[in-house]
Amino acid sequence: MKPSKKALAIALPVLLALGACGTGDGGGGETSGTGGGGTGGGEASNELTVWTWDPAFNIYAMQEAEKVYQKDHPDFKLNIVETPWDDLQTKLTTLAQSQSYDELPDIFLMQNNAYQKNVANYPELFTDITGSGINFADFPESVTAYSTVDGKNYGVPFDAGTAIGAYRTDLLEEAGLKIDDFTDIDYAKFIELGKQIKDKTGKPLLSGQAGSSDTIMMMLQSAGASLFDDAGKPTITNNDALLKSIDTYKQMVDAGIFLEVNSWDEYVATIVNGDVAGTINGVWIAGTIQTAKDQSGKWNITNLPKLDGVANATNYSANGGSSWGVSSNANVELAQDFLKSTFAGSKELYDTILPASGAVANWIPAGSSDVYKQPQEFFGGQPVFEKVVEFGTKVPKNNTGAYYYEGRDAVSAAITQIIQGADPAGALEEAQKNVEFAMN
Amino acid sequence: MTKSIARLPGYIFLTIFAIFSLFPLYFMAVSATNTSKDVLASRLIPGGNLINNFKALTAAQDLGSALWYSALYAVGITVLALIICSIAGYGFEIFHSKGKDFLMSILLLAMMIPFAAIMIPLFQMFAKFSMVNSAWAVILPAISTPFLIMLFRQSSRNFPHEIIEAARIDGLGELSIFTRIYMPTMKATYAAAAVITFMTAWNNFLWPKVILIKNEYQTMPMLVSNLSAGYVTDFGVLMLAVLIASLPAMIVFLALQRSFAEGMTGAIK
Repeated sequence: MKPSKKALAIALPVLLALGACGTGDGGGGETSGTGGGGTGGGEASNELTVWTWDPAFNIYAMQEAEKVYQKDHPDFKLNIVETPWDDLQTKLTTLAQSQSYDELPDIFLMQNNAYQKNVANYPELFTDITGSGINFADFPESVTAYSTVDGKNYGVPFDAGTAIGAYRTDLLEEAGLKIDDFTDIDYAKFIELGKQIKDKTGKPLLSGQAGSSDTIMMMLQSAGASLFDDAGKPTITNNDALLKSIDTYKQMVDAGIFLEVNSWDEYVATIVNGDVAGTINGVWIAGTIQTAKDQSGKWNITNLPKLDGVANATNYSANGGSSWGVSSNANVELAQDFLKSTFAGSKELYDTILPASGAVANWIPAGSSDVYKQPQEFFGGQPVFEKVVEFGTKVPKNNTGAYYYEGRDAVSAAITQIIQGADPAGALEEAQKNVEFAMN
Repeated sequence: MTKSIARLPGYIFLTIFAIFSLFPLYFMAVSATNTSKDVLASRLIPGGNLINNFKALTAAQDLGSALWYSALYAVGITVLALIICSIAGYGFEIFHSKGKDFLMSILLLAMMIPFAAIMIPLFQMFAKFSMVNSAWAVILPAISTPFLIMLFRQSSRNFPHEIIEAARIDGLGELSIFTRIYMPTMKATYAAAAVITFMTAWNNFLWPKVILIKNEYQTMPMLVSNLSAGYVTDFGVLMLAVLIASLPAMIVFLALQRSFAEGMTGAIK
């Protein structure tokens, strides 16, 4: 009697669990039936699966690209899977580590800053598209550099991260200034103007997330500098451009012309609520600025201030941006031809998506189109997009390195300490050690 | 009279904390009716943008589908987990075996392994069985948890063994003892376990996100994640989605609240 009781106690959960699996074939049929497993190269020969995010931006652009490509290929079909960037990275990492490459899509969008790391760590995820016939010279070198590893191209640049300085002309006017006063200047002048605005309007010129090094990274790239040398070794110590950038940043915070807030949402709020006189960021910030409809006509854009006393300093930089990668599980021929005919070859595509989504092209030929020359009412009638394309061609290229995020996080921590009064050299030395540790 | 005065500081203290914990809920509900700009300006009174937010939400995302799949997974997981873990907990406590305490300690040790550590082997397993992108890939890993087994085992301690002996003498089978005597007696524990499992399953994000590749199967937390992924976030729409995503868990909790408290303290009626 006793053993049978024991057996029952063990067998029941097992049986139930198995029963659950059993009904899975039937009950799960309705949910998994259409799927059948793989999404990537598994489907019909005229279909591509794409992972990307943001229905108003990247997804919309892909849908328009599908329409453009369908004109010559009526049977063509895109299957777009909405996947936010953070989740996309998690999925790629999981698939790479479990070597389940057949679950990969044909094409995925990747943040430019994450490219080097992903190609270095998981080369099996990508297809080398150097020989695809796509003319990479049609994109600014600073942008293709993100997705180029050892001279091989792994991405077609899409969304431009070209940096702009955007300012409230009404507030500038109150301080007796114009947008031209902010064009082609250096940070010494910028801080002087910022103080002037703060005195007259009481508002800081810029805002940003405390503990985020976005501003510093933009300053660095504007001089073609980076946290890594060409061999990929961290160069956080003895880095003049970095020291100068941090010093400039600290001066702005101390002078009250750069308002540090706690979160991204608060940063957005300072702009939309009109608590600051301007912002410096990737051109994609224009979308956020334009949600404040009551500020229409009161904004202008121009280039960035440049670092003073740093070699190769320019008034141009970038923050963010993303590129399309072709996966190792792709219908490579179709995926390459699709990208070549759309994002790397269709003025029509860029002309359509620009006014509707504000997606500024990295593809240089698109900038000559009339659509780009249209004055933008929100920005006081400036031809904003033509300017941005022009800025984009002047951005110095820099080396993001495979450990970009580690470097950036370490420098962010150092900046927080420096703002609180720590010695810059010491804080940066610690950052250097942390990055070296992460790389080992 | 003096007694109630003595209690006053306690009530004030509790009131302050109640406000602290209720305020985020209030702000969420109010923000769902405001425009993005009003949310950013921390407007604290209801606005008239609820319908617009709802239209924008349903235009951008398949809300019905996400709710349906979230409910399917959460209910499936809860029902199966309750059956399996209660049988296991009952078995561990009622039946005698030399190895059971050793087995239980292994189970409890398993509680300490973070999910991120087993995610990749788990994915490999499901990929091998061609079960990626299926409802069962979401449900199966969650139906047996050491915590629930432990909860049922602890509660079974208070379950009078004499009843079982009496039932056996009366000729009731072991399965009937479980279904006809144990289950009705342990209602409170089942309710507590149901609340915990349902809320965990409803809010589960990482594993479904990894294993479900198609858009059609996405759940409410994934939908919320999609809404904040873009360059421009509409905070009114986002808050409405968060509100809709939180309602079912709130309803389940409120409905089973009394039993939940009893179940957690191990009371048997």
